[in-house]
Formats: sequence, C-alpha cells, structure tokens
Amino acid sequence: MEIKFTINGEERTEQVKPNQRLLDLIRKDLGLLSAKEGCGKGECGACTVIMNGEPVTSCLVLAAQADGAEILTVEGLAEGDKLHPLQEAFIEAGAVQCGFCIPGCIMTAYCLLKTNSLPTRQEIRTALAGNICRCTGYQKIVDAVQLAADKMAAGGEG
Amino acid sequence: MQKESKLNAENRQKTSGRGSNKVPIGSADFLAPESLEKALDYRKRYGFEATVIAGGTDIMVDYFERLYEVNSWLDLNKIEELKKIEINDEEIIIGATATHKRIAEHPDLQKYLPMLAHASSEVGAWQIQSRGTIGGNIVTSSPAGDTLAPLLAYDAKVVLQSKGGNRILDMSDFFIGPKENVEESDELLTKIIIPKPSENILSRWKKVGKRKALIISSLTMAILIEIDNDGVIENARACYGAVAPTPIEVKNVGDYLKNQKLKEVDAKKVGEIAVAGISPIDDIRGTEQYRRQVTHDLTVNAIKEMAEEI
Repeated sequence: MEIKFTINGEERTEQVKPNQRLLDLIRKDLGLLSAKEGCGKGECGACTVIMNGEPVTSCLVLAAQADGAEILTVEGLAEGDKLHPLQEAFIEAGAVQCGFCIPGCIMTAYCLLKTNSLPTRQEIRTALAGNICRCTGYQKIVDAVQLAADKMAAGGEG
Repeated sequence: MQKESKLNAENRQKTSGRGSNKVPIGSADFLAPESLEKALDYRKRYGFEATVIAGGTDIMVDYFERLYEVNSWLDLNKIEELKKIEINDEEIIIGATATHKRIAEHPDLQKYLPMLAHASSEVGAWQIQSRGTIGGNIVTSSPAGDTLAPLLAYDAKVVLQSKGGNRILDMSDFFIGPKENVEESDELLTKIIIPKPSENILSRWKKVGKRKALIISSLTMAILIEIDNDGVIENARACYGAVAPTPIEVKNVGDYLKNQKLKEVDAKKVGEIAVAGISPIDDIRGTEQYRRQVTHDLTVNAIKEMAEEI
C-alpha cells in the first residue's frame, strides 16, 4: 500500500506492507540509521523518533500509521555542516559513550526543549525516563540537555 | 548498509521490513477508516479476523517478532470522532483514542479527574503516552492497566458500539479475567462516560512498580471519598489494580466508610478490609504477601492523608 508522509522536511511517497514497522521503513527502506532497534518492545527508547511533534517508539508504530504524518529523526536536525545545539552539547558534555541510545535521547530532549526551554534536572530526567542508557549513568546526558538549553537560550534557536 | 548478527537479521526478515516478502503477508489488509460508521462496517465484516489497533503500545508488543500472523489491521487513528474529550454539566466523555498524554495534560481532566490525569502521566514513559490510548488500556484489560483503578473509582461506564446499536456498561462489568473482557467481535469501545465528580471529593492515586517509568505496575490504588460539609463520608470507592484477576473495587471498604466522619475513621481497619477483599498472586512483579502488605499500607496512608486534608 502507498503512504505519503514528511520525513526530515522531505515529502515522500513510499510503498509499505501492512505488517511493516515504522522503524523498519526508516532504517531499511529510507536508510536512515540513527534510530536503533534495542528491545523492539517499546521499553528502551533507542528507536525514538518524533512523529507529529511527539516522541514515539518507532518499533511500536506500523509504517502504514505514518500516512500523513510528519517524522523527524536525528538526521533532520543539523543544518548543512552546522550541528543542532543539542548535538553540539552532547559532544561537549561528553554525554556519548557507545552512542547506541543517543539518537533516541536527543529526539526526546528535542521535544522537551520545544515545550520547556529551561527544564530542571528533574524535568529532564522525567522526560528521558523512556530512554535507557547502559553506559553513561545519565549524569552527562542530563548535563548535555541543560547545556543545550543554555545554548539555545543564548542563541535564540529552537 | 548496517551490519547485523545473523540471528537478528533472520528474525527481522520474519517480522517486517524488506525481507518480509518471504512470508505471505502480502495479502494482509490495512484498514484505516476515517469514519466510525465505516469502522463498524469493517468490524461486522471482519470480526476478530481484523486486529484492532490504536496506539499499538500493547498489541505491537503482543505480536513482537510475529507480526506476520496478523492478517488484517483495523486502525482507528484516522477517526477524529474517537479522539474527542467533552465535558458538560453532568458528565465527562472521553473518546476511546484520546492518548494518555492528552489526558495527563488536559486542564479540566486534571481538575475533575486528578487520579486519571495522574495515572495517565505515569503510563510507560513519554513515548508510550504519545501513542497509547485510554480505550486501548481498557480493551487490553490487563489487571495492572494503570488507568483502570482510577476509572473504576470514578464510576466510569464504557460505550460499546456496533452496527446493531450501543451497549453502555459499568466498567466493573466489562472485565471478566486477565486480559479478557465482554467486547463482542462486531463491537468497538468508542467512549468512556464518567459522571462529573462533585466539589467535595478527596482522592488518592498510587502506583507501585520496580522503577518509576516503563514498568508494569506491581500494584495500583485509587481511592475516592465524597464528603458532606460536616466531613461525613457520603460515598467512597476503593479500587485496586494487579491484586486480582481484573482491576477491582473492594466494595466492603466503601460500605464501611459510608456515614462515618472521615476524621474519626480507623484507618488500620480500612486497610484490613481492603486486604480481605483482594486475591493477589505471586508473580515476577511481586509476591502475594507483598501485595497484601502494600495494599494495607497504601490504604492506611491514603485514609490518614485524606483525613488531614480537610
């Protein structure tokens, strides 16, 4: 079946199968590899993408359900060579170790900063509760989101 | 392309994605009607042959690695009518596909149904709340479903709609066992109707789990007490999740509390009555003994806290 949707600002028309997951459409058909499959059951958040303005675990969404949707992945954040403040902040804060969970964390944090431009550490922790990281212990991820918030407030971005 | 272990790659092919043409899923249907009328037509025609999906946060987990077994999907997300949240003088009507996120953040629901808004804000995590729906939580009918004890406490009714007409059922009559309910193959749960609570309401919601997010509850509790101007209890409902085959109200608690002055209630006695009314099991999320102890303690604390609140 055919679906139309927007991904990272680009309008696409794709053939999808009824039992195909959004995660597989994004990774296998579109070749966007930032979203990862960790658990496949919506528990780890590694496959988080933004769908119609909200973070979703793309392993629990059928591709066909994305018909008409607007999807954003990490690949859509940078403008040319200029990284998004969140991406810069994750690098500067040293929030990335193995990196598997980070695209998911960044997408959830992106949604958080859209609605709450200066979140507290507790608010960041609550927002990111659905993104499991086995390396960092989360401190530096929280640091990075705070740093990004500061950068965006200073730069007037977001 | 990305590298994957052989095992993962094999599983993936069976599940979905490009390799999925190896299994006969080409014939599967994806029905996404834009009107309720059309959805009910499909429901009548396909019955349980078509798997109903809204947020998918339960059903996609149930079919993990065997999505190919689903012959037809009936997706409810394009039906605007089912997303509505309406509030009038007497009732609060929540469409079945209102998401947990919307319910958690709805100012009127926070005001009138704080236990439900609070419970919705604790389902899974943000990603699950974005997609998961209240109707899905009810139809999945897990004894541990987070919104279910609050809905019972608020005396909610569910509307089951089919081509033949509507059935309106008390929530307590909807559940018949773990993940079992009375919905027929041609019916859809379309809305939840909750009598608007009066002003003199006190309530307590608690969820106990092994971590704060993304956890199936070991136990949930929703207690609602309606008092008159003298602090006398007019009506009370104590409801629990994950302590019996279905979410339940312990009616003896309500009967005991009725007509007592809240400030003079023996909270320990209430805890004992609550424990006597549940039938928990041992499982991975807690032992029977643990669930009895926690039911007791949460109930006692809730009654004490509410007594101090007035």
